[in-house]
Amino acid sequence: MNVHVARERHWSTQKERGSLFLMRLTALSVRLFGRRLLAPVLYLIVLYFFVSARSARRNIRQYQTYLADWSDKPELKPTLGKVFGQFIAFADNLLDRLDVWRGRLRFEQVQLVDPSGIRPRLLRSQHGGRGEILVVTHLGNPDVCRAMAELGEQVPLNVLVHNRHVAQFNRLLGEAGDRSMRLIQVSELDTAMMMDLSQRVERGEWLAIAGDRVPLHDGRRVTVNFLGYVAAFPQGPWLLAGLLRCPVNLLCCLKVDGRYRIHLDPFLDVAQWERSRRDAVIQQWVQRYADHLAGQCLMAPQQWFNFYAYWQPREKEANDAT
Amino acid sequence: MNALQQEIAQLIIDTLNLEDVTVADIPPDQPLFGEGLGLDSVDALELALALQKRYDIRIASDSKDARQHFTTVATLAAFVQAQQEACKN
Repeated sequence: MNVHVARERHWSTQKERGSLFLMRLTALSVRLFGRRLLAPVLYLIVLYFFVSARSARRNIRQYQTYLADWSDKPELKPTLGKVFGQFIAFADNLLDRLDVWRGRLRFEQVQLVDPSGIRPRLLRSQHGGRGEILVVTHLGNPDVCRAMAELGEQVPLNVLVHNRHVAQFNRLLGEAGDRSMRLIQVSELDTAMMMDLSQRVERGEWLAIAGDRVPLHDGRRVTVNFLGYVAAFPQGPWLLAGLLRCPVNLLCCLKVDGRYRIHLDPFLDVAQWERSRRDAVIQQWVQRYADHLAGQCLMAPQQWFNFYAYWQPREKEANDAT
Repeated sequence: MNALQQEIAQLIIDTLNLEDVTVADIPPDQPLFGEGLGLDSVDALELALALQKRYDIRIASDSKDARQHFTTVATLAAFVQAQQEACKN
């Protein structure tokens, strides 16, 4: 398995194959047939994806194995059915995303777990105050955060994305009737981008950025232990937070018993470092983030939608480290 | 070293919290990055934000250009001055 994993292509080079193709098709079909009629069709498409994408199957199996071992829950061990189940969960996820984009999923339908009042802060920040950072994950459905924000123009939320498919996604969002989400492409943190983001934060705008995908051309990554094995995580969100000296919150939206539940957790009151200890501090943050993420994987084991090779090829090292 | 250069050298020290470094340790023509003062790319970003706040300057999204401005205290001072004059006009 290791050799294959090592040769795996990086996720951002894969033209978001499954995702974008399925979404386009789904967007069209939902309009034509409605969701209830569409579901079986989509399952067929996902079945095709399942059969044809061998590496995706292998990667999901790896994830399920690690999760079962790490949590000491043998019932989570992968079977063909469980691996397929995760693909099906992805299909449901796509359908849900379209509902979100079309405004079909209302905030009232979503349960919010926000013990420290992060959402009220987000809503308040349009009337002054500084923005904050939301680190989101590809576990579950990040798009539902839009339902949380009730994104009209009044909620100042910018979604930072790494990949080059922003234009395509924006077009697709337009087709799906969504024109309010602000996507900003960040392939690299350069001076101009930092200045722009800093001004947004000063104006009270919030930044949402994924904490679980390493961009291709950005060497800034940090490896930590995730589910018992070494995985690379981006430094980007944490550098951003440290440079902007703003609070960091974690956002994760999981579907539990057929209902979306948004978890908002405070993570850092103010991201700050001593210059000489910067790398070590970021490493600590990311490890804590990975541990948090691992806990959330257990809440919704089948909603891990990173279908590419997530872990570093040399697998055993992390075990020795812990 | 002129006043603006001194001010910028002090800003670098304060922003990056460089202990044991004084303005005199950063001659205007000493490279800030790599060999010279030993700053890295994250320091550069931090510095850019501090300059933006202090002098209200803008840096275009051409990153090569930005890198040139950040070579030494002297180039930074020249850049800040040019920006300030551009704003006045």
